[in-house]
Order: sequence, then C-alpha cells, then structure tokens
Amino acid sequence: MSHPEDLLADYVGGTLDQRERAAVDAHLPGCARCSAEVRQAEAARAALSELEDVPVPFGVTGPVLAEAGRRFERRRGVAWGRFQWAAGLAAAAAFVVVVALNVGGEDAQNAAAPERTTAVAGGTSAEGGAEAATPGVIHFAGLERQTDVNYDEAGIRAVATEAAGAVVAAEDARGTQAALASTVQDSKERTSLAKECVDQSGVRGPNDVLIRLIEAQFEGTPAYIGVYSEGPGAGQAPDHIVVFVVAKDDCRILSTASQRIPSG
Amino acid sequence: MPDPPARDEDLVRRYLSGDRAAFAALVERHERRVYNLALRMTGREEDARDATQDAFLTVLRKLSSFRGEAAFTTWLHRVTVNACYDLLRKRQRAPLLERGEDDLPALEPPPAPDHADASSLSMDVQQALLQVPEDFRAVMILHDVHDLRQEEVAAIVGVPIGTVKSRLHRGRIALARAMGIEQQGRFSEDPEGPPAPGGSPGASRSGERADAAGPSEGTVSP
Repeated sequence: MSHPEDLLADYVGGTLDQRERAAVDAHLPGCARCSAEVRQAEAARAALSELEDVPVPFGVTGPVLAEAGRRFERRRGVAWGRFQWAAGLAAAAAFVVVVALNVGGEDAQNAAAPERTTAVAGGTSAEGGAEAATPGVIHFAGLERQTDVNYDEAGIRAVATEAAGAVVAAEDARGTQAALASTVQDSKERTSLAKECVDQSGVRGPNDVLIRLIEAQFEGTPAYIGVYSEGPGAGQAPDHIVVFVVAKDDCRILSTASQRIPSG
Repeated sequence: MPDPPARDEDLVRRYLSGDRAAFAALVERHERRVYNLALRMTGREEDARDATQDAFLTVLRKLSSFRGEAAFTTWLHRVTVNACYDLLRKRQRAPLLERGEDDLPALEPPPAPDHADASSLSMDVQQALLQVPEDFRAVMILHDVHDLRQEEVAAIVGVPIGTVKSRLHRGRIALARAMGIEQQGRFSEDPEGPPAPGGSPGASRSGERADAAGPSEGTVSP
C-alpha cells in the first residue's frame, strides 16, 4: 500500500470510517514514516487542544461600536445638526461646492449618502475636498503607524514645525502636493477610526485640513496625533499648523501644539 | 419561557432596518471568538486588538452587502483571517527600524521548555504556532482550536476540502517540529515532508495541490 497521506489528518482526528481506519492501522506498523507523522500530528493536536480562550481586553470593540453609532446617525441624517455649528454657512457652502467637484473620496459609502452635502463640514470627506482646492496644503496619505514611538511635548512641537516647513515647501513647489507620511500606511478602516477620534475631541476648527495622522504614544499613552493646516479658508493658503494629540482609547485630548507657517 | 436567541442573520437584518442595538449584539456575541482567533494567528495582543477592530469594521462597512449566501459566522471568520493576513504582511514589510523593543512578541517564550505548568505549555505552543506557515496555521487554528468542521474551514479559507485535510496534517507536523517533537523514524530526511518552519507565504505553498485560489488573495466580500 502506498502512504495513505490523505487519510492521516482524519485518522489523527478520529473521524475515519471503520474500513479506512483499518487500512491505516494495517499500514502503520510497517511504515516508519507514516507512524512518525501520526505521532507528531497527535502530539500537535493534543497541544492545540490545551490552548485556552482568553477574555477580550477592555476597549477592543468600543471604538467599533462607536463607529457603528456614527454610521447609524449619518444614515439617519442626524449628522447635520451635530456639525452645523462648526461650519458656518459660508464655509459650508464653499465645502459643498468643493466636495461636489471631488466626488469619489475615500469612503464611497459616505460619498453616496444623501446627506453628504450638508454633513461634509465635519465629516470624514471634508479634508479630501478642501485640500484639493487650497494652495500649500500637504496631501493626506493615511494613518501612519509609529506605535513604538513615544512622543513628548517637545516631540509634538517638532511635528508641528516639520509640518509648517513642509507646507512652505509645497507652496514653493506651486501646487505639487507632497505627502508627509514616512511610515507604513494603515488600512482605510483604521484611518477613518483615527480621524473620527481626533475629530470627536471637538477641538478642530471648520477650516482645518488634516494633513497627517499618526498612531503613536504620547508620554506612554497610546494616542493619535492629528496634524492640521489652518487658514482663513475659501481657498486661501493656510497660515498655521495645529497638532492635536488624543488618547486612543477614549479620544480625550492629551496635548496640542501650534506653529505659524512663515509666509513666503 | 424566554425567547431563543436571535440568529446572526436576523440581527444583521434588524441592524440594516434600523435597530442600532442589533450590531452591538453581534459584536458582543462574536468578539471573543474573533479576538482569540486573531491572537492565535498573530501571537501578539496588540496585533490581535488591531485585527479584531479591522475585522469588525470591515463587517460594519460591508454589512449592507451581506446577502446571507454563506453563514454569517463563516463570513466573519473569513474577514478575520484576512485581517490577520493583512496585518502579518504589514509587519513583514515594516522596516526593522520601526520595530522597537516593545514590538517583540507579547507572549515571550520561556527560557527553557517547562512542560510541568500549563501556562508555560500554552506559551510554548503559541510560539511554535508562529513558526508554522500562515496558511497552515489558519487551518489548524480554525479546526483544532476553534473546533470548526473541515467543510466550514474550507469555506472560510476558500480552498477545497482535500487541501484543508492536507494543510491540517502538514501543519500539525510542522507544529510538532517547532515544538521540538522530532520524527523518530528512519525517514526524517523525507523530501516531501511538511513545510519548513519559517512562516513565509512562499514556503507555505510547497507540497500542495489545488491551491491556486489561496486565502491570501481571497476576497472578504460576502
């Protein structure tokens, strides 16, 4: 008999019928290879059965449920009321035009939602629209993972200074939009989760445009760092960089920094 | 007598028709299974958290296109396994510079095997699991740890059932070797033996058939 390889998984699992089992039983004593494999597979299976479930750590699914709630509200059009205050009518009108010209943002589901035109001022698609029309703004490339990096106040200020320099460079390059991101980009889901977390802190102004988003630590606390360019809006060049640091678990504000963009 | 618990598919329908609590019920029902699958696949608590969040966010995003052709749990497992593959691939791509000391495996191996105590045994097994190529690891975890039927495992990873059997057997042998359980026969130099430990996606394809549509390229859409 040739080696009954296709039967060995079920032999070890105990799910062979009587006839097949008898065939393997007859083969094993004369085959060192198969009997060694069976011994190893049985040992592995026994070891795997010892692995026990561990409880889910606190806070793992909280952000998911929060996101589900936000999506739910958006679907029901509640978002309008929540974001109206932040926008101002003129700014909202400007964004509506911009976003309408830039359909096809990162989240097709959002873009297709009927309340898009009213909710954009605070919604996740606002950056995508505004940055395209605003000179000197860095292209936002996605969430950067720097979870090993522990920032402090000076580090956050350095991030702001670096961003201000990059904006000046982008202005000098006249329309060339460079990405600031230097590290691994994360999934869309995690990027949008991080964005919502920074937005949710409520510190962001209506004309702030997200240019960089980092997942790192701030003084030992897992955090998102949002870097925004801030300006008068209406297509004018930004004049400040603001950096918001929020805790990853509950989106509370941990720190901020701001840096004036030197005018060219 | 209390009502029987709602089926997953009914909870999906209820969420889509406006019952906000239905999604929370789905998450609550499955989070432990998803998290533990991710923990066994990635071996790191932080990665397991990320993969769990990615998986549920994908489910949330695609829930409206879930047609119920496959069981919800099959789909959820597939999304979770794919989230783990994505994460592991990102880890491989990340330059070494970004890997600080905190990035070492959360479940550190004990200095010497000590099978006297159950928790250290569990850590040995977890460390050894990470040496098994991903495709084999996924099948083994789904079948031998999560007790899913081979048919269900085949549906989750998107391969024929014969491939599941073959990965299961080869994966178990690779795990035994990674745990230091050596063959005691004369044929230890067998050229068609199990995949070498190492975990690279390329290595996992060796010695297999009917594997053109492996789960790495598999889709997460329902």
